[in-house]
Amino acid sequence: MTHLTTEQLLELREPGLEPGLDGARAHLATCETCQAELRLIDQRVARLRALATPRPGRDHFLEIRSKYVAERRRKRVRWAGIGSLALAASLALVVLTGDGQAGGRADGRIVGPAYAVASDGDTDLAAIIARSQELEEALRVYDPDSRMIDARTATIAARIEDQLSTVDRQIELFGALDRSVPERQAERLRLWNERVGLLNALMDVHLTKATYAGM
Amino acid sequence: MNAFPLAQEETLLPLVRRGDPKAQESLYRAYQAQVYALARRICRTREDAEDVLQETFLEVFRSIGQYRGDGSLWGWIRTIASSKALMRLRRNKYRDADELHDDVAMPRREDTGLRMDLEAALERLSDTARAVVWLHDVEGYTHDEIATMMSKTVSFSKSQLARAHARLRLWLGEEAVA
Repeated sequence: MTHLTTEQLLELREPGLEPGLDGARAHLATCETCQAELRLIDQRVARLRALATPRPGRDHFLEIRSKYVAERRRKRVRWAGIGSLALAASLALVVLTGDGQAGGRADGRIVGPAYAVASDGDTDLAAIIARSQELEEALRVYDPDSRMIDARTATIAARIEDQLSTVDRQIELFGALDRSVPERQAERLRLWNERVGLLNALMDVHLTKATYAGM
Repeated sequence: MNAFPLAQEETLLPLVRRGDPKAQESLYRAYQAQVYALARRICRTREDAEDVLQETFLEVFRSIGQYRGDGSLWGWIRTIASSKALMRLRRNKYRDADELHDDVAMPRREDTGLRMDLEAALERLSDTARAVVWLHDVEGYTHDEIATMMSKTVSFSKSQLARAHARLRLWLGEEAVA
């Protein structure tokens, strides 16, 4: 007597039997050996389902959240980038043709830690936006998502990323408002300064791996 | 297997879609064990399974707007997790030959008289065979669905399952009682 193969026995366990299996079913009804083999398969599947559930070694939520926020921010920055450049260009024009109050530095660059740059009247918005873009590019090149980070670093980075998202939303909002109002211009400068400060902090966190103090 | 009552799910999902951190955390806490268990059974190492866990939830948070509630939330998350785990297998190619063409009817000499526990036997299967066994027998996917996920044919999935069962039977030293 030819017994059923494992494949045929497994087919018989599938819902919605194919017509071609009628013969196999008829054989099974009379063959105790095949019935026993089928019972073994049933028991094996039951044992597989009853295997202990493995648990992850540590909590991953903060890392996931940090990556999610960073990804969302990058998307927003990508879109906002075009507007920012246009804004920077228009501001530079105002600086050149305006009343001379916002002259900026002679070389047009910001020296030292950007979050130390105060709105002391001679810092122009175009330069701070450029600095923000430099830091954004530095972060992109460093690519923190591809690196292993500990939970504490992930927590701090996630918090900074959240703050950056908030600042970015405010910058977008101000971008849509009338730029000729001086108070709004000052607020824009403050927001971009804050953004640069946060980007610097983010770089510090990733580079020093949780030795960042003061957060 | 739904980790949330439907009412709670309906409250939570709009918040997850808006990127609310607390809602995302609730969703993660509710399903992380199932996602990890699935990933761990398919992937060869714990590190790979943890990477799959992260990739799965990142994709869930990113794509939650696409979940329309047609099927269960766990079903949707599970499909993402399975797909990520299979992608990880493909990427790693742990075993070059992957034992796809081994003839299970001819046991290797070292298998004779060998008896191991189910965990060890499952680990010993090829990556592909183990994935098919787990997806079909435990997660309840059909051969059609597995074939689609693996970009293979239905008969490939069926033969992988049959070969895997034949091997497990041998390695577990099971004896049929008629």
